[in-house]
Amino acid sequence: MKIIPIYIEAGISGFESPAAEYKELGLSLDQLLISNPDATFIGLAKGQSMIEAGIFDGDLLLVDRAEAPQDGDVIVANYNGCFTCKFIDKTNARLLSASKLHRPVQINPDDDFQIEGVVTRSIRLHRQVRELASCML
Amino acid sequence: MYALVDAVSYYASAEKVFDPSIRNKPVVVLTNNDGCICAVCPIARRLGVPKFKPYFQIKHFLAKHQVVIRSSNYELYADLSDKMMSVIARFCDNQYVYSIDESFLQFKNYNSLIKDWHQYGDEIRRTVWQETRLPVGVGFGTTPTLAKAANHAAKKLPGFNGVAVINDDKSRKEILSRMSVTDVWGIGSRLGKRLNVLGINTAWELASRSPKTMRQQFSVMVERTINELNGVACLTWDDVRQPKKEIYSTRSFGQRVTEFHSLKTALITHGAIVGRKVRQQHSLVKRLLIFAASSPHDDNYYKKSVVYDFPVATDNTINIALAITQVFNQIYMPNVHFYRCGVGAIELTSSEFTQHDMFSISGNNPELMNCYDGINNRYGNDTVKLAAEGRAEKWHMRREFLSPSFTSKWRDIPKIIC
Repeated sequence: MKIIPIYIEAGISGFESPAAEYKELGLSLDQLLISNPDATFIGLAKGQSMIEAGIFDGDLLLVDRAEAPQDGDVIVANYNGCFTCKFIDKTNARLLSASKLHRPVQINPDDDFQIEGVVTRSIRLHRQVRELASCML
Repeated sequence: MYALVDAVSYYASAEKVFDPSIRNKPVVVLTNNDGCICAVCPIARRLGVPKFKPYFQIKHFLAKHQVVIRSSNYELYADLSDKMMSVIARFCDNQYVYSIDESFLQFKNYNSLIKDWHQYGDEIRRTVWQETRLPVGVGFGTTPTLAKAANHAAKKLPGFNGVAVINDDKSRKEILSRMSVTDVWGIGSRLGKRLNVLGINTAWELASRSPKTMRQQFSVMVERTINELNGVACLTWDDVRQPKKEIYSTRSFGQRVTEFHSLKTALITHGAIVGRKVRQQHSLVKRLLIFAASSPHDDNYYKKSVVYDFPVATDNTINIALAITQVFNQIYMPNVHFYRCGVGAIELTSSEFTQHDMFSISGNNPELMNCYDGINNRYGNDTVKLAAEGRAEKWHMRREFLSPSFTSKWRDIPKIIC
């Protein structure tokens, strides 16, 4: 069942708000956080290895494919068929974690590896979001 | 200069965007209800997987080669298509989106800006891949038909790596003489056979014929195609999408249907879909085909179709539903396990140029239909619908191998391992 969010108008017209002329579009998080909408996708962080970079299990990640990855960036890579979020160490061809419990991963020539995009933002959900509840399992 | 940019086996490529585990595997996508193969990725093509084969006939072959099978995920394809189109749009100020994965670009006054079209094509390909992870082919030509031919060359002929340019006689001859005549835009296989009789086998041989003579023997369409192949642009964006001459909505059931009301609601739902599409292209239905059938693989194959002629051509969904209701008793048969049904508008007229009838009153109600379409366009299809369409979802598509809606449902967003 779809519900249309419009209220019935009774046809009574009151006074125009004195602020009407000053009204601007509301703030949009998309506009603030996403510079390249066509090249950006949203993913969900799973795991503990980036905790010291401030990325926790269950955070949302905005991944921008148009952004050129710089050494030391937090990136998402296709690492042997999995989307993986790490720091990129281009000089030594390694993926670095932000946690003492995880060792650097050396990228070997026979690994399937491509950088998918740069993590430009991460979003922490301090209270549970209903739409995402099933992802958090 | 025109360009045609389109995705390489789009549906299969779209499946690979958010599933890196299948990027290097053979992938095929099945049509509605998982009936036939409708997209084959290049890796699967190299294994010899044919397109348009019924799935059940090739099941074992696919299993043997560990081919990844997906149902059509239209939510995903539509979203990725929007993104791809808007990346492509950055390369030209005049874009025409021709289909879910093809778009034309028209370059006017770009000649002094773009020195090397090959290089420009490479840049389009690289950017689209970088930003959307979709592989595209780019063809440039001095007419839309030549751009389409160049696009064919870019993707199918050896020696081209995703980009081809037809901008002089040499490149035109080189590409057209390597293309079969049925690879030319607008030349189907039936027309192709008739052209073969005249000794026209390649696109170049067609281009060398006199347009005037060919018009007499075939049609204006063929004349235009020949002119286009010779660098005379005849098609404009409006011509490119002509209104359809027939509109069908048909589908096989996810589960067999035997019950009177279920079949009727399914048919009326198809009728409503036809009505919507008819209004979209500003046509009116003059003649409607309504049919239902069991499976041809059943023992007692049953098929019944009825043609209904409207006294006054209509685009009113209610009239279409009434017509279906009227003939329904002729179609329904108890104890038949219906497998497939559908409705087709088989004769259409233009709603702009209608001859009104002196005696029959038109049952059209443009205000109501505008409102109906307006609500559904804004809030999604089926926000308002006829009560006769019912709420049964039983006959909806079977999509057994459906991938997640990575970009349109929150619960399906890709997981990233940290």
